[in-house]
Amino acid sequence: MDLRAGDSWGMLACLCTVLWHLPAVPALNRTGDPGPGPSIQKTYDLTRYLEHQLRSLAGTYLNYLGPPFNEPDFNPPRLGAETLPRATVNLDVWRSLNDKLRLTQNYEAYSHLLCYLRGLNRQAATAELRRSLAHFCTSLQGLLGSIAGVMAALGYPLPQPLPGTEPTWAPGPAHSDFLQKMDDFWLLKELQTWLWRSAKDFNRLKKKMQTPAAAVTLHLEAHGF
Amino acid sequence: MALFAAFQTSLLLALLSLRAYQSEVLAEPLPLTPESLNVSIDSAHQYLNLQWSVHSLAYYQELKMLFQIQISRMKTSNVIWVGNYSTVVKRDPVLHWSWKSELPLECATHFVRMRSRVDDAKIPEPRFWSNWSSWKEADAQKSLGRDPLFLFPKDKLVEEGSNVTICYISRNQQDNISCYLEGQQIHGEQLDSNVSAFKLNKVSFIRKTGTNIFCKVDQKDVIKGIVLFVSKVLEEPKDFSCETQDFKTLMCTWDPGTDTSLPKRSSQSYTLFESFSGKKILCEHKNSCNWQVDSDSQEMYNFTLMAENALGNRSVSVLFSLTHRVHPKTPYNLFLKNVSGTKATVTWKVHPIGNYSTLLCQLDLLGEGNVIQQHNVSIKENGEYLLSELEPDTEYMARVRCADANHFWKWSGSISQKFVTAEAAPSEALDVWRNVKSVSGHPTVTLFWKPLSKLHANGKILSYNVIVENLDRPSRLEVHSVPATANGTELTLDQYSYQIHVTALNSAGPSPASVIVVSGDPGNEEAEEERINGTEDGFSVSWKPQSRKAIGYVVEWCDHPQDLPCDLQWKNLSSNTTSTVISSGAFRPGVRYNFRIYEISTERMANLLEKKAGYLKELAPSDNPQVVVSNLTSHSFTLSWKDYSTDSQPGFIQGYYVYLRSKAEKECHPGFKKATLSDKSACCQHRIDNPEQKTFVMENLQPESVYEFLVTPYTSAGSGPVDTFTKVTTPDEYSHILIRIILPMIICVLLIMITCYLKSQWMKEKCYPDIPDPYKSNVLSLIKSKENPHLTIMNVSDCVPDAIEVIHKPEGSKIQFLGASKSLTETEFTKPAYLYLLPAEKNYSGPGPCICFENLTYNEAAADSGSCGHFPVTPQAPPSQPGPLTSPENLLKALEKNYMNSLGEIAAGEASVNYVSQLASQMSGDKDGLPTNPPEPVHCSEYKMQMAIPLGLASPPPAENSGLSSTTPLDQSEHYR
Repeated sequence: MDLRAGDSWGMLACLCTVLWHLPAVPALNRTGDPGPGPSIQKTYDLTRYLEHQLRSLAGTYLNYLGPPFNEPDFNPPRLGAETLPRATVNLDVWRSLNDKLRLTQNYEAYSHLLCYLRGLNRQAATAELRRSLAHFCTSLQGLLGSIAGVMAALGYPLPQPLPGTEPTWAPGPAHSDFLQKMDDFWLLKELQTWLWRSAKDFNRLKKKMQTPAAAVTLHLEAHGF
Repeated sequence: MALFAAFQTSLLLALLSLRAYQSEVLAEPLPLTPESLNVSIDSAHQYLNLQWSVHSLAYYQELKMLFQIQISRMKTSNVIWVGNYSTVVKRDPVLHWSWKSELPLECATHFVRMRSRVDDAKIPEPRFWSNWSSWKEADAQKSLGRDPLFLFPKDKLVEEGSNVTICYISRNQQDNISCYLEGQQIHGEQLDSNVSAFKLNKVSFIRKTGTNIFCKVDQKDVIKGIVLFVSKVLEEPKDFSCETQDFKTLMCTWDPGTDTSLPKRSSQSYTLFESFSGKKILCEHKNSCNWQVDSDSQEMYNFTLMAENALGNRSVSVLFSLTHRVHPKTPYNLFLKNVSGTKATVTWKVHPIGNYSTLLCQLDLLGEGNVIQQHNVSIKENGEYLLSELEPDTEYMARVRCADANHFWKWSGSISQKFVTAEAAPSEALDVWRNVKSVSGHPTVTLFWKPLSKLHANGKILSYNVIVENLDRPSRLEVHSVPATANGTELTLDQYSYQIHVTALNSAGPSPASVIVVSGDPGNEEAEEERINGTEDGFSVSWKPQSRKAIGYVVEWCDHPQDLPCDLQWKNLSSNTTSTVISSGAFRPGVRYNFRIYEISTERMANLLEKKAGYLKELAPSDNPQVVVSNLTSHSFTLSWKDYSTDSQPGFIQGYYVYLRSKAEKECHPGFKKATLSDKSACCQHRIDNPEQKTFVMENLQPESVYEFLVTPYTSAGSGPVDTFTKVTTPDEYSHILIRIILPMIICVLLIMITCYLKSQWMKEKCYPDIPDPYKSNVLSLIKSKENPHLTIMNVSDCVPDAIEVIHKPEGSKIQFLGASKSLTETEFTKPAYLYLLPAEKNYSGPGPCICFENLTYNEAAADSGSCGHFPVTPQAPPSQPGPLTSPENLLKALEKNYMNSLGEIAAGEASVNYVSQLASQMSGDKDGLPTNPPEPVHCSEYKMQMAIPLGLASPPPAENSGLSSTTPLDQSEHYR
């Protein structure tokens, strides 16, 4: 590259231009729209917090149900809990999920789980347990709102619940008390699995969202020069 | 009429025929076999429901019958229960009966049959059982479905302490099934190949969510469970009672006991039933129920309270009259009116109870939490009472409660109100005491008084008034106002007598005056001090009255005598008292307390009567006195501790122990006895019994010995610490003599030395001149006196030198010779100059013999004889030496004895020694002929001995080389240098 004397002035002008435009770079502009990144990070943090909170709540509730439900190796068949949204999914399927589907599944799962959890709260016999469950429900509601925020930031529509299909967690007439306890057990277990999955989902989203931002920055630098 | 008669006859016949028929029928046994027996299962309640009918009751409206029922399990022959059921059977009946099974009915097939018998008095004996019905089977397993495993009963509710049987039904005999109760595996009884039963005895309540029991098929994902809900036992309501406050409503209360509620199952409910009225209400609360009283005033009530839950019920009853269960409402509007210092009026109101009821109210007056007065007042609606005998300026509380005056049942709640009575003038005179002392010649009176108690102050004391009146000289009264916070004041007075009035003032007025008279002259404040002993209760002080005019006594002391101020205390005593016990919480063991007893005269003047001193408990001294050692001699020393104060010790000092120990002495001195110290070392102890003896002389000690002593005081509680001994070393026996002699001598010597130094020149001339004066030689006197009185000293002036021969006199040498002697010595080695006064041999060239002259004037035994010995005089002495040598022989002989030893080798050649004149040269020979010879040491020039020889004996010096000689005036001193 052949540089002449006039080129140095040109370089300086370019540098000034870049500096002038630096505040306009989204990654560096604190006053502009931060994008979905912080929301995803907050959602990820919230899932971790709820995971921690659920660990304490589940311990209390399973003790309330009594043995064998509070035994660490108790793994009953998933008899009456078929209506619960399943968190476990094939790894390849999970990897192939697009962002919209991933977020939609999370949103739908927590919508159902929250309804079931509220039913659990209504049945609880002790006031202290009811308080703990109500507190957790509030936190879970927050997580649902946070997921909705991420979806809105990314421009995805919220899934609409079908009218009259509000899930309930009321035992049927033939539902025995033991089966009800099994359902409660599975509800808590599935909730925990969903929180684990969501942490991975949002971690994946977080990483994914960071990469395009960096690319935009580099592009702007090249443009400035 | 005939028609009526015919009808009557026919009716009678008909009745007779009917009666005859009945008698015929009942005379036979009735075959009333139960028919249409049907068995059904109620799984929820584990009931086996039976339904059957009885026929052939056409002639009876009803008939009492007995049914015997048999129930078999698994097979008909296995009868597990047999029972009778008695009932009245009506025409065309369908009968029902249920049996509750302990084992869940799904677990086994049950069989039922029955038979019947008439059990009615209308049927005469004998009565026979009918035939058994056929067995009816009840099998619930058929309708269970195809699940591989079942567990029964489903979610059963039992009361705590019940027995429960559980069973499982397996469809596959090959399955290995294990069951768990609360996580613990349980083992049951196998009923058949597919069914096992578990019997749980006296189940207990674990949690409200029930006891979990589950079974699972091993190696399969099959699990079945039930929840056994165990309810607490429903208790009978306790403390059930009813009462009314207004004859309108009855409130019944009770203690419900344990809550039996479970999730999805409500707690026990309560029902109130009144048997006289037949009314029944369901109570809204678990522990109370309100019952409306009818307006027609039902007097008696019989209530039954029933507690009921899903498992049973409990009930309790109470019978009472309404007028005996009146519990008035709490009074209201309690007020205090017209509150003075000693009186107050209390008013209150009560809620009316009926038209004719009277209430009995109890009015309590409380002071400091205690009931002081209690009054009962009967009222209808308004109550009022005048409280009296109150204390001024005191806080009280009035409290009122009421009950039915006719039939006491319960007190109402209480209402109370606090109030404070008004102030009044203090009721008592102050307790005043004084302390008189002289400050700068003026008597100063310090007045003390004790604050009035709350009982006597009757209000807040605002100030104290002190009025001083001169009794000796009419003058104006001095009024001093002292603030309320002070409890004393100080007055400076003259040498007169004064009467002092002290009063306390509150808002209502002054207290009675307290009068005390003080005199400017303190008078006799001295009295013999007496010792008293303290006890746990204090000090018992007694005194002897001196006059009969005393109106009282005052005992004065200090609570803290070691402090300033010492916290002066006093106690007033009546005139007929001669003893008292002084006690104070401030008294401590080991502190000396001094008590002064004053007599109060009719003039209200205090005169010192006695003084006492004592300890609550005497303690051993904690410190030892500071002991000073004086008069130290080789055999004694004196110990003194005069500064030691015996008054400020923790006990009365009774004397002292003097300890003495010494390594030199094993035995104790007289007056001492052996004692063993705490460290098991031995020492000698001497006891001084007089506490005022504060000196002690240690005697009979050994000189030059180390003694250790210790002086410790002792009280009745023991002696002081025996720890630190002081060392004393007795001096040498003669040291004082030596000091008395040697010291002056040293001083004298020093003086002499100083004098000598200052007069050194004079001394030198007098004592050791450079040229001694032979006349002053003591040798001369010795010789004179003993040997030859005719010997005289030759005077230089008498000696006329005949010749002075200077062999060689170089210029430098002359200068040196005449110069400082030091220079001469230095040049001797190079160019020795010899001045010969004796004739010298010309041919003498070698080193000749050296003659040493010794000055006999100086008896120097330490003279170096060897120095002379090096140069012995050879026998080749110049023959020219004449006979004069023989003349001093006598002299030599006389000297020989004393001095020949110093001559050494010279002694051998006695005859050859030439003693000539002191002027003779010590060396002969040519000086110039010795340039190559090193000059011999200065020995040869030493002036060893000189002696005076009488002029006649001295041989005249030979005149030699006179031509070469020149007469030189010689200075004597220089020449004999």
